[in-house]
Amino acid sequence: MTNNDVHDPGDRPRVELPKSPTGITGFDEVSKGGLPTGRPTLVSGPPGSGKSLFALQFLVHGATHCGEPGLYLGFEGDRGDLAADVGALGIDLAGLEQNGVLLIDAQAMEREAIETGEFDLEALMVRVAFAVEKVGAKRVALDSLESLFAAFGNRPALVRSELLRLFRWLKDRDLTAVITGERTEETLIRHGMEEYLSDCVVLLDHRVVDEVATRRLRILKYRGSTHGRNEYPFLIGPDGLEVLPITSLGLNQQVSSDRLTTGIAGLDEMLGGQGVYRASSILVSGTSGTGKTTIAASFASAACQRGEKVLFFSFEESESEILRNMASVSLDLAGWVERGLLHFHCQRPTTLGLEDHLATMRRKVDQIAPTLVVIDPVSSLSRGTSQLDVSAMLMRQIYYLKSAGITAVMTSLTEGGDDLEHTELNISSLVDTWLLTITMPSSGERNRGLYVLKSRGMAHSNQIREFLLSSEGVGLVPVYIGPDGVLTGSARAAAEAAQAATEQGWARESAELTEALELRRRAVETEVASLWADFEAEENRSQRRIQAGKKGEEALRLSRLEQGRQRTVKPEDGP
Amino acid sequence: MSNLSEPPAPEEVTTSERLQLTLFVSGASPTSIRAVQRLRDLCDKNCPAGYDLEIVDIYQQPEKVASAGVVAVPTLIKDLPLPVRVLVGGFTDRPRVLAALGLSISTTEP
Repeated sequence: MTNNDVHDPGDRPRVELPKSPTGITGFDEVSKGGLPTGRPTLVSGPPGSGKSLFALQFLVHGATHCGEPGLYLGFEGDRGDLAADVGALGIDLAGLEQNGVLLIDAQAMEREAIETGEFDLEALMVRVAFAVEKVGAKRVALDSLESLFAAFGNRPALVRSELLRLFRWLKDRDLTAVITGERTEETLIRHGMEEYLSDCVVLLDHRVVDEVATRRLRILKYRGSTHGRNEYPFLIGPDGLEVLPITSLGLNQQVSSDRLTTGIAGLDEMLGGQGVYRASSILVSGTSGTGKTTIAASFASAACQRGEKVLFFSFEESESEILRNMASVSLDLAGWVERGLLHFHCQRPTTLGLEDHLATMRRKVDQIAPTLVVIDPVSSLSRGTSQLDVSAMLMRQIYYLKSAGITAVMTSLTEGGDDLEHTELNISSLVDTWLLTITMPSSGERNRGLYVLKSRGMAHSNQIREFLLSSEGVGLVPVYIGPDGVLTGSARAAAEAAQAATEQGWARESAELTEALELRRRAVETEVASLWADFEAEENRSQRRIQAGKKGEEALRLSRLEQGRQRTVKPEDGP
Repeated sequence: MSNLSEPPAPEEVTTSERLQLTLFVSGASPTSIRAVQRLRDLCDKNCPAGYDLEIVDIYQQPEKVASAGVVAVPTLIKDLPLPVRVLVGGFTDRPRVLAALGLSISTTEP
């Protein structure tokens, strides 16, 4: 992605716009480097949206990190107000001013100026020029446009032309400027300034949805540069403005082929026999009471068994509730907590705005450095915010965890009656492995079932398995599929028993038959052996008689020869 | 354009105190010179207790511009008597200037 931004297809290197980092966590990633150097940027938003803070952070970062002194020209309050605003964030304006890297020229505009004739804003130019020269400023903040227009409400045309003169002056001197304004397009168009302030326009928003305050930042335009176009949640935290995410949104994170056990043998078996990939994201969704938290806890327990750290975010149950409940299914999480492997962070979803949750989660992740994170349940975060916000937040959270090599296990509650294979948060396309827990009511029982809806990059079972929770632990057993359909619970047990009985009957019968056959075979063999013995005896006898007969015949022939010889007179031997 | 700043409250309309005035002008431009002339003329004729006028050239004393929070020229600040008043423009609207300074129109005014 980055390569495409830098090089066009003709292999002609495109000159990237020089940028000045703001030091605002996350903003420099979203804007791919910061604000356009040497140009004015309009930072626009309603009162209290953090415009002044944005401007000040930009100046302070330049002064402390980039060797670029800054000038803050404010018309909304005096320096006392300003110092108080940022003092809580650990920004020491007075110290920076003493070091000569920052100049604060803040005077509340006299809104009751009485017009007595023609005038111009040359004094403003002089103030800016004087201060820029004095501190050697490279960065300038003008806060805000509205206060100038309000001070000279009868002469908008004059204020406009004078401001344009100021912007040209700033541009000519290559000063990187932040101009704050309360409204966006309409104000700019009304004041006819849009074309002079359109190099970069950043919108800040501050809204309250269902009593939860949320802040948003969006880069409306950025001439000559690519930038993240989404609305990003931000918060004003202890370090000032923080735009989320802090990591880039590129899809170029390293993938791992390392497989992790889910802690449930039957589930590993369903997932190609080896479990899930490390640093993948797993979603367990289902209706109430289907065992989602238990599955998540099994993942956690398995990771702890490997000696890895786990961070468990719970938005519905307290730590002690989870420990007790999981102990009832033989998941001893308390032991892992004691050993410092399992960390809980339990918070009511409504106590904080969405972006505060995000920031808290990220801070906790950074602090504990787990290899597995459980978010139970992600669906409760959607309270008080629009679905779009939550899915955007989760998307970033998932990418953040992935890029950090952390496995994410999330549970999501599906409301009864909803389509099961549809998450209200639209995050299903983001997760790598999606497990669905269901209830299977049959024969007066409500039994739990589980199946793998998808699991990227591995062969996985297409079966629905029965999910058993007992004091002996968590197990997955294949459901019984017989001639009467899918059976679960006691119906499955009964069917299995019946089948076992039938199988036993068959086994006994065949054993008996085998035995009988063996006996018969032995009998036959004995009989055959005795027949052979008789036959051999007879053969011997016969052979002997045959031999004897042959001897008798020979003897007879010899005796006949002898008789003949005795009866004959030998002529040469006569007397 | 006609919706101008609120006129001063009636009880401030006249004063017999000496005025402390600071006028910010941009150098020796014709507009600046004309503005100074108009102001002096107006004050000479309508300040019974007299006035002190400090003229600040914004190019010569930019730090004073900043400390006073001035953005427009000409700008006249009436520091005393209280309340502080800020006037911008070249003093062409005489009744308005007088009202803002808490002066009544002198009978010597033509």
